[in-house]
Amino acid sequence: MLDLFILIIRYIGLALITLGGFASVIAAIGFYRFKNFYLRLHPLTINTIWGCVFPLTGISLLTITLEELGAYKWFMAGASFITALIVLMLAPAGSHAIARGVHKSRTARVKPCIADLLDKDLCG
Amino acid sequence: MRRITELAVILSLVLGVSVLLVLAASILLPGIEVRQLAFFYLYTTINPWFQNYTVNSPEAVTAIVWDYRGLDTLFETSVFYLALIAGLALARGLFSETPQGSFNEKTHGLTTIVKTVTRVTAPMIIAVGASIGLHGHLTPGGGFQGGATIAVIPLVFIVVYSTLFLIARGVTSNKMLVLRSIGLLGIGFTSIAAFLIGLAIGRFAYVFQNMPKPGAVVGLPADINGALISGTLWFFNLFEMIAVAAGFTIAFIILLLAGRGGSGGR
Repeated sequence: MLDLFILIIRYIGLALITLGGFASVIAAIGFYRFKNFYLRLHPLTINTIWGCVFPLTGISLLTITLEELGAYKWFMAGASFITALIVLMLAPAGSHAIARGVHKSRTARVKPCIADLLDKDLCG
Repeated sequence: MRRITELAVILSLVLGVSVLLVLAASILLPGIEVRQLAFFYLYTTINPWFQNYTVNSPEAVTAIVWDYRGLDTLFETSVFYLALIAGLALARGLFSETPQGSFNEKTHGLTTIVKTVTRVTAPMIIAVGASIGLHGHLTPGGGFQGGATIAVIPLVFIVVYSTLFLIARGVTSNKMLVLRSIGLLGIGFTSIAAFLIGLAIGRFAYVFQNMPKPGAVVGLPADINGALISGTLWFFNLFEMIAVAAGFTIAFIILLLAGRGGSGGR
């Protein structure tokens, strides 16, 4: 029973790491393809949450099941989990601050534009 | 024509660096055996069977920085101190331009989201910095690294909350200079601690002495109640951490001074 539980946790961890790699590639494509600054911020946050928080959580789940690491597995799992939590807090705040700062200082225009309800002059 | 020239320059640079790397790899690559000097450091950094020469610190880098070549590091710290003094002297007229208003949570700084996240992460950054600094004699890190990590806090608070927030909380460049001087004085006293003990009990001791050496039996304790402090190294790291954190804070306050008519971020 315990072995099955450990196996499930290990595969959840591996799945999260794979998901992170996949999301990173998607984010890279989006980063290349999206047309303006605000749209490019979107794949950036995909990379920080899907491509960083999820794999880190996966690493922490995976290392818990690895008996070869000995006592260090708790150290690695804890460090990964705390890092994931900190990134989960910091990354959205950072991208929010960047987007708001750029929009307020009118550095980047919204182009192509459908609607910019905050500042109509920046549209187009 | 220009594109071809650029391409030729880039190609020749890449090829030249490759040739250099290949040559360097065949001539300069170190062998697998430990060199004599490195062997001496590794052998003596923590060695309970060699009490008269050991530093009692598992972290060889900190041992080298603050014990084997401590005088060098003291001068490095002094240079950093003098550079800050020069920076303060250069910017001395600018302090009067700092807006004298009080900090207003609603009108100053970035949005509530960023402020809240900053408030939550600030204690974590201090904890990490203190851990890097005070465990400098056990794990990689040390006073400078820990202090630089702690100095991130005032930088983030200046950006997110505005300089007025720091001034309202009493973090001014003058107070930081006092803190920095306390750190430097602490480093100075730690460097002559063994010497002063030697003077007090009438034994011969060196300046910058850490553990007892042959001919100079005075030394600082390697551990307190079983917790390893490696003699002077822990104190050096503590004071260096205070000095560097305060020093970088001064530098950030000078560099990010709110200008005349600045409204603190909005």
